[in-house]
Amino acid sequence: MGTLALAAIVFSATAVVVRQGQAVLITRFGRPLRAATQPGLHWKLPWPIDRTLLLDMRRRVYETGQAEMLTRDKKNIIARTFVVWRIGDPLTFIQAIGTEGGAEGKLDGLLTNAAIGTLGGHDLSALVSTNPSDLQMDQIESELLASTAPLALRSYGVEVEQIRLDRLALPAENVTAVFEQMRAERRQFAAKYQAEGEQAASKIHSEAELEAARIRAKGLEEEARIRGESAAQVAKTYADAHRIDPELYRFTRSLDSLDKLVTRNTSLILRTDSEPFSLLQSKDKK
Amino acid sequence: MRRLGPPSEIARLAAPLARLLDGAWERMHWWVAAMAVLYAVSGITIVKPDEVAVVLRWGRLLGETPALQRHGPGLLFALPRPVDEVVRVQVRHVWEVPVSTLAPAMTFNDMYIEEGVNTLDPLTQGYALTGDQNIVQADMVARYRVRDPAEWAFYGPKAEEVLRVEVTAAMVRSLGEMGVDRVLSDGRKSLIAMATRRAQAGLDAAHSGLELSSLELTKLAPPAALAADFDAVQSAFIKAQTLQNDAQAFAQSAIPQAQARADAAVQAARGAADSALAVAQGDAEAFRALDREYRANPAVVRERLYRDAVDKAIGSAGTVQWVPPPVGGSYHGFRISIAPGLAGPRPTPDSMSPSPETGSERGEGDSP
Repeated sequence: MGTLALAAIVFSATAVVVRQGQAVLITRFGRPLRAATQPGLHWKLPWPIDRTLLLDMRRRVYETGQAEMLTRDKKNIIARTFVVWRIGDPLTFIQAIGTEGGAEGKLDGLLTNAAIGTLGGHDLSALVSTNPSDLQMDQIESELLASTAPLALRSYGVEVEQIRLDRLALPAENVTAVFEQMRAERRQFAAKYQAEGEQAASKIHSEAELEAARIRAKGLEEEARIRGESAAQVAKTYADAHRIDPELYRFTRSLDSLDKLVTRNTSLILRTDSEPFSLLQSKDKK
Repeated sequence: MRRLGPPSEIARLAAPLARLLDGAWERMHWWVAAMAVLYAVSGITIVKPDEVAVVLRWGRLLGETPALQRHGPGLLFALPRPVDEVVRVQVRHVWEVPVSTLAPAMTFNDMYIEEGVNTLDPLTQGYALTGDQNIVQADMVARYRVRDPAEWAFYGPKAEEVLRVEVTAAMVRSLGEMGVDRVLSDGRKSLIAMATRRAQAGLDAAHSGLELSSLELTKLAPPAALAADFDAVQSAFIKAQTLQNDAQAFAQSAIPQAQARADAAVQAARGAADSALAVAQGDAEAFRALDREYRANPAVVRERLYRDAVDKAIGSAGTVQWVPPPVGGSYHGFRISIAPGLAGPRPTPDSMSPSPETGSERGEGDSP
């Protein structure tokens, strides 16, 4: 029982449990001795000879401040980057930075400088463009990584894994110009839509009118054809009949003409000795 | 003996403590044994239905592959602390994080944003540039869950932090590839798809162990100062559509109308033709009948026809004037005046007015 208790005391003084995602820096009399980066059980001499310093080895995100910079085509832009980083070399990290919180200040300067340098080598169209062949974001991000990662690891023991641009903006005074440009573009669009709409509408309108006119013309043509055929048919019918006796026809036609000539507006002046008055006259004289 | 001195010295010094422990053991060994058993089984635990657990033995992740590392819901046999540590992760739960980095800042002062404000301060106002260098503002909500518990717990950065930056970067980049008109209309879906894909790639590269289950654009609009200009385009577009629709409506009524009118006219012509033919046939038939009659009795028929016609003419004439036959074969001083504006010729005012129906015995022409 006693030996068990003794063993527990000795174990707790000499065992170092390195948890997954952590590293432990073992210092001997304050001097960094080694870093236990592999998770599991490690050993040290008991306090006060060896001491331990716990380090969080998980990845972290750091976002730089927004900085104004110039692109190769002399456009002012405001950019911000973020990094995903972790402690790559605990020994160097502790020696160069000391505390975990101190890393961000060092990274900020490093990243801002890298961003200014890298973006200065590209046109704005490499960042924003509707033409896919202009865009060079992947290249820019890998350039940023290449220009910072080796330095960060060597100088600060910081392993930079990912750098990306998460802000692209314009200085306030340039925004006004962009607004003006956007307004002009909107006005253009509005005018274009209006013109196109009117044109399309009038095209539809005139096409419809043309079609209607064509239909009307076809109708008139049909109508005329029917009338013509009818007239011919009527004429033939009459001719067939009248051919039997042209003399009678002439006679009945004259009588019809007489009928047509005399209307309510006609004044007939007849001699009293003509038919039928002559009958009366002769009767009177009798 | 001398050599063995120091250990026996220690033993002698420790003897009272050993005796104390032995005495305690004598009296309480059942208790101690029970405690020891309880301690030994204290590592056994239950993993809840929505959880996945991983086990750390002496701080080291147990299991060679991710599949072996994960322990699903149920009973989990682990050793007691400090040997084993069970880390539980909720893998089914979908977390939600608003991403407002590209959205307009809503501070107290901004509630009074008026049309006249003609700029945006990049330090306080979130926005992004589109591929055609227009400015748009976006507000997003990202939903995510833990896909790889071990990675999330031991390697990855803090979930909300990494999500915010990865989603923002993905959206900035995706917006930067598209024109503003595509972004604000039919390109929205592909914008979201593209940004989601990029954000997920970033999350994977950051060993976050997270899965972006959805990315929602709660707002995507041009800056408030330009809203009116964008609306004007919209209304111009709608107006153009209306114009075209009106024209279509006109076409849809004008063409059938013309067709109907043409059809009606053709039908009328056909009707007229039919009736004209019928009349002609009737007339022809009548003529043939008359002709048969005429051939039988020419003189009588001719006389009857003539008299019928004369009667009819006299009956339908407005005025009939009878004049005596001229003396000596010709008239002298016979005059007919026609008064203008009156229906039909009238006798001259200086002559006697005849009675219209019966006719006067003397025509006015009879005056010397």
